[in-house]
Order: sequence, then C-alpha cells, then structure tokens
Amino acid sequence: MTVRSSSGGPDATSARVAAISVASRARSSGWLRSQSSRRLGFGYLLLAPAVLYVLLLVGVPFLFSLYLSLSDANVGDPVASFVGLENFRAALQSDVFYTSLRNSVVFTLVAAVFKGLLGTTLAFLLLQPFWGRKLVRGLVVIPFTLPISISVLSWKWMYDSQFSVINWFLSRMGLIGTYGSPDWPVWLGQPGWAIAACIIVNVWRTFPFSAIVLLAGFTSVPNEILDAARVDGTSFMQRFRHVVVPMIAPILLIGFLFDTVFTLSDLSIVYLLTQGGPANATKILPVLAYQVGIQSGALGRGAAISLFLFPLLLPLMILLLRNLKRREY
Amino acid sequence: MSEGQPIQTDKGSVSRRRFLKVAGGGVAGSSLLTMLEARQAPAQIKGTTLRILQWSHFIPAYDAWYDKFAREWGEKNGVKVRVDHIPHLDIPARMAAEFAAGAGHDIIYNGSSILTRLYYKNLVDLSDVADAAGKKYGGWISPARSLVEVEGRWYGLPIFYILAPMLYRKDLFDQSNLKYPDTWELARVAARTLKPKGHPTGIALSQCADANLFWRSMFFSHGGTEAEPSGASPTLDSKELREFLRFAKALFEEGMTPEVFSWDDASDNRYLASGVACWVHDAISAYRTTEDTNPPVFQNTFLALEPQGLPGKRVSVAAPNVWMVWKFSKNQQAAKEWLAYLIDNDLEGMVQSRGYNMPYLNDRYKKPMPVIGTDPKLQILQDFPKIVAFYGYPGPSTTPIQEIVNTFIFPDMITRFCRGQSMEDSIKWGVGEYRRIYAKHKGA
Repeated sequence: MTVRSSSGGPDATSARVAAISVASRARSSGWLRSQSSRRLGFGYLLLAPAVLYVLLLVGVPFLFSLYLSLSDANVGDPVASFVGLENFRAALQSDVFYTSLRNSVVFTLVAAVFKGLLGTTLAFLLLQPFWGRKLVRGLVVIPFTLPISISVLSWKWMYDSQFSVINWFLSRMGLIGTYGSPDWPVWLGQPGWAIAACIIVNVWRTFPFSAIVLLAGFTSVPNEILDAARVDGTSFMQRFRHVVVPMIAPILLIGFLFDTVFTLSDLSIVYLLTQGGPANATKILPVLAYQVGIQSGALGRGAAISLFLFPLLLPLMILLLRNLKRREY
Repeated sequence: MSEGQPIQTDKGSVSRRRFLKVAGGGVAGSSLLTMLEARQAPAQIKGTTLRILQWSHFIPAYDAWYDKFAREWGEKNGVKVRVDHIPHLDIPARMAAEFAAGAGHDIIYNGSSILTRLYYKNLVDLSDVADAAGKKYGGWISPARSLVEVEGRWYGLPIFYILAPMLYRKDLFDQSNLKYPDTWELARVAARTLKPKGHPTGIALSQCADANLFWRSMFFSHGGTEAEPSGASPTLDSKELREFLRFAKALFEEGMTPEVFSWDDASDNRYLASGVACWVHDAISAYRTTEDTNPPVFQNTFLALEPQGLPGKRVSVAAPNVWMVWKFSKNQQAAKEWLAYLIDNDLEGMVQSRGYNMPYLNDRYKKPMPVIGTDPKLQILQDFPKIVAFYGYPGPSTTPIQEIVNTFIFPDMITRFCRGQSMEDSIKWGVGEYRRIYAKHKGA
C-alpha cells in the first residue's frame, strides 16, 4: 500500500482526490456554517423581498411592455405577432409624436427649475423658527396629498375661459381688461399659456415634496459646521453653495431623480386639463401613449410611444447614480 | 342562403347525436326567443349576480333611476344586480383591464367611443336580442347597425344616443331681424351680426368630444365624407373638405372668440346659460343647464334642426351609447335578459333623462314622444333620426376611425387652419394622419 502510494498509481491519485474533496467539503461546509456566511445568507434573505418586488413590479412590466412594443397587440386580441421595430417606426413617422416629445422635455425641465427654486425657498422658510411652524409644515404638503383629479379640476375652473378667478383678480387689479377684451387670457386655449398652465399645476402640486426633501437634508447639516463657516466670514450664498449643497447632494440627487421620473411620466394633469389640446400644444408622451394604446386599442404602438421615455430617462439616471456613487467614496 | 333550398346533410341521413344536438339547440333558441318576446325571465337566472359597469350620466337623476330600476328588476327575477358608475373617459382603460384579467363586470357600457370592433371576439353575440327588439319595435334606425355589427352579428346593443341640435337666442335674432339658423350660412350671418353686439357663438376647437362631433356634423352637411361606405379607406381629401374649411375659418373669425380653443364638453352649456352666446350647437344638456340656472335666457332659447350645409343636406353626428356583454361573463343569460328589458323600457329612460336619451328603434318615434313631444320647443328633436349619423360617416365606426377620433385629428386639422396655417398644409397634415392610421390598422 505504501509502495503503491509512493509510486503514485491510480489508487494514490484517487485517494488524493478523495482527500482533497473531503477537505474541500469540510472547508465549504465549515464556511457554510461560519458566522460570516450565515450573516451573508441572512442579508440576502432580507434583500430578497426587495429584489422580488423590483423584479415583479418593475422588471416584468418593463419586459412585457418591451414585448408589446415589438408586436401588433391590441386590447381586444390576446394573440399578437412579432412586427420588429415597426411600432417605433410608426411613432417616428407621426409629427404628433415629435410635438409630444418636445412638450415632454419642456414640461419636465421648466417644472424642475421652478420646483427647485420654490422648493429651496420654502425649505429655508420652514427652517426658520416661527410661531406655528409645525402647523405650516403640515399645511404645505396638502397639494401633494390631495387627490389629483380633484385638485386638477379646481385648477380647470380657475383657468376657465369665461369664469376664471385668476382673470377676475387680474382684471380687478387693472392688469388686464374685462371679459371679452383682447388681453383677457384664455389660459387653456393659447398654446404658450396652455403649457404654462399645465406646468403651474405640476409645480404647485409637487414643489412641497421638493421642499420637504430639502428640509430633511438641511436639518441633517450639523450646526457646528455652519457656525464654523459663519466664523470664517462666509455669506449665506457661499455657505449654501460650498457647505450645504455638497453635504446634502445625495438627498438632492435622489429627490431630483424621483421628481424627474414622476413628472415625465405624469399623465393626469395634462389629460384632465386639456387632453393634449389645443391642437396638441400640450400633448406629452404619456397622454399620446394612452390615447393610442388604451383608448384606440393599439397596445403595441402605445407601448412603443411610452418606451421612448426610457432612453430619455436612462442617461439621466446613469449620470445621477454615478455621481451619487462617486460621492460615497 | 336562398329561400326554399333544403339544407344538405352529409349522407342524406341524420344521426341520433346530430338530431339531439340540432333539436336541443332549436328548443333552447326558440325558448329564449319566446322568453325574450314575452319578457319573462327564465328560472335559471335566479340566484345569480349581474354586474354592470357604465358611465355617470350627465343627468344624475337618470343614474338614480337606472340603479333603482335595475335593482327592482333583479328583485323580481331573483338576480342580485350591482351597477358601478365611472366617468365615461375612464371606460376604455377599464375595459382593457377587465379583458386582460378575464374578469370584472358582466355588462360593460361604451359611450361615444364604441369599441365593439376591437373586442368583438371576446363579446357575446347579441343578435337574438337585437332581432327580437327590432321585430317588436319596427326595426332599428339605419345607423344603429354600423355601431355594433361585425361580420353580420351584433356584438353590442345600442340603447340610446345623444343628439345635438342648434340652440339659439330668439330674442337676439329677432332684435337684429335675423332668420333662424336653418342653414349653416344663416348661422354664420347671425354670429357675424351678433358678435360685435357682445353675443358671439362658439363650437369647441379643442380636444374634447364636442369638437369631434359638431365640426363633423358641419362637414358632413357640406357634402363631405370621412370614409367609404364599407369603412375600408378614408375619403377625407375632397373639394367638399376645402369648402368646409373655408366656411369653418370664416365662421370662427367672424363669429367666435379664441375661447373655443380651451373649451371642454360643458363650456358651451355655460356659454349659453351665461347669456353670452347667440347660438350654440350642443346636446340638450345646454338647454337644461340654462333652464336650471338662467330662466330669462331659457325663455328665449329655442331649438332648431341640424342646419343645412348644401341645400337639403343635413347630417347630425350624435354620440352613441352601447351596452356589451363579456364572453367571460358567467351570467350571460341574465345579462341578455336585463338588456332586453332595458330596451323595452327605453322610453322610460328617455323620460328620466329629461329627453336626453334618444332611442334607436323606429316605433319609438311615433309622435308625440315622451318629454320632447310635449314641449313645443323640443318637438323638433323628433325629426332627428332621419339625419343622425355616427363617426366614420357614411361608413361604420371602424377601429381606425376610433383612433382618429381619440387622437382628435379632425378638430386639430381645423384648429391648425383657424390658427393661421395654410389650408393645404392643414389638409396635408390631417389627410396624412388619416392615411397613416388606416395603414397601421390594415397592417395589423
């Protein structure tokens, strides 16, 4: 047996393999039983619901809409055939699509600028100590919590061509003429005013959200750092730009990301105010996708139109998330 | 199949199984027809539940009546009836969701945007109910069939439509010695005369149902057509379209204000009720709103038939309302029974809707009709069935037409022209969109 072993014959090899295998099994079972592996497993277990949630509620619908966009599916026929990129081509052939794309970008960017400005201002105001601050902090989020249909219908009344309370107020102030005069604004009837009206409602509704996010960020900045900056003789704007913003950048970026996604995919405000009119002046991609995909039944083309939002959002998300990751290290 | 020709069987003989099948089918079919005619609900529907999804009617009293009426029918026949009301604009999305889930309501309502052709493979054939009602009440008015018929079968049941007459201020017309608007030209003259006196007119030029309906009425009355009678291809591009657009722009510039670009379906009601409008072209909801909110204006508001575009040519595009039954419904028999009962009582529905719901069955037009036949101002509405049409005129409401309607191509084309785009560019855009959409649906 010893000879055989030294000669390195087949038995010796198999014994070595067996020994290695036993050792490795022992190691792996040892590793499996180790505390770090159990902690890792437990971590994955805790993570699993979130991963499942993302896969089921985001991944599957996304893949399904991708499948729809490559098919001639319609709402009444479950059997669809593959049409390649035909639905995307069809969208690109329609100038309503380009109008909607342009409006979507304008809507999102202009609304983001105003939400940023108003949200920051409001956050600073809410940071100041004053009587009833808690109550005011609660009240400012009301627009965000109201059912969207109710708040948009109220705005629709305020924008009414005949009975607009905004126009009535402006007229009483002497800033515009009376009803029927040429300078009486028809808010939802003139292309420029109509898109502005939709943006105003979006800003009104969501800037409290921006303010709350910023407020959370501002309160996380230690007072000692701000005091130190003050002692160094910095102005308010310098402290804001060089101390506060870098410190709350992750919160700002995540807030901006959420807001952009919500605004770009928001159907309700435009649909309830104008349905995309007049003559598509306020039509945005979600409204067009809804009209083509659901109301007209062409699911494939509707899915293709809505998927055009994806390449718009993807680079932005990558940029923001990379920026966020860089800041972690 | 020609009359009198015998049906050929395979071998000239009938097997026992086939005999039982045919005889059983015949007995079941004839008993259903008998029951439909006698309006006696079969015992099998007892203990079942019937779920109905429909819009929230513009006349809330109608919904209250409908719910009670359905409940009482259910109690009488041992069926638990549940009626859900949602805004009509939400119905296409709800329908898509129910179809995808294969579950939901038994009966589903469509208003204005009729989706029978999209879903017909998944809808119950209601030809037996339609045939029985047609036989009983002197047949259906001719455009009814185009809404719901696919391959010779009725997959929906039209129960009422909403028409839109001219509503004009007789006092203002009389003060300016204007003739009542029997032609579109007279309506234009009135608007041109009365606008400088603070009484313009208005038809929505925005993305709403009114804009889709009323400008089409004007176009079709000017001799235009939207599609071939078969519905196979669009026929928009024509000299009639150019004539119509010229007229529409003149009417807008001379008689309207830019407010119409912002209007929704209720704006013209308010315009009339506020006393500003010299005339509006709208459903009688405008008349009712004025009755309820401004009695002096109401006293002077009169109705006229759809104006003529070309001499003698009147086409009034109405908003159809149709009920359908899902194939996945487990209670199809009760659904059919209820719909047949609802048709039998459509005149009661007309009363409850204050004359708003117009029936599709010829015998219902025997004068005087309820509500509208007894009100001297509304009597003219009884003459509308001869001139009523729906989207896609003179063809049926096909799927490309539904997409064209839902994406507001037709009113947008007019808006472009009224806003200053050249006529040929506006037509090029509109016709191009029509062709593109038709091509897509043909390809699919």
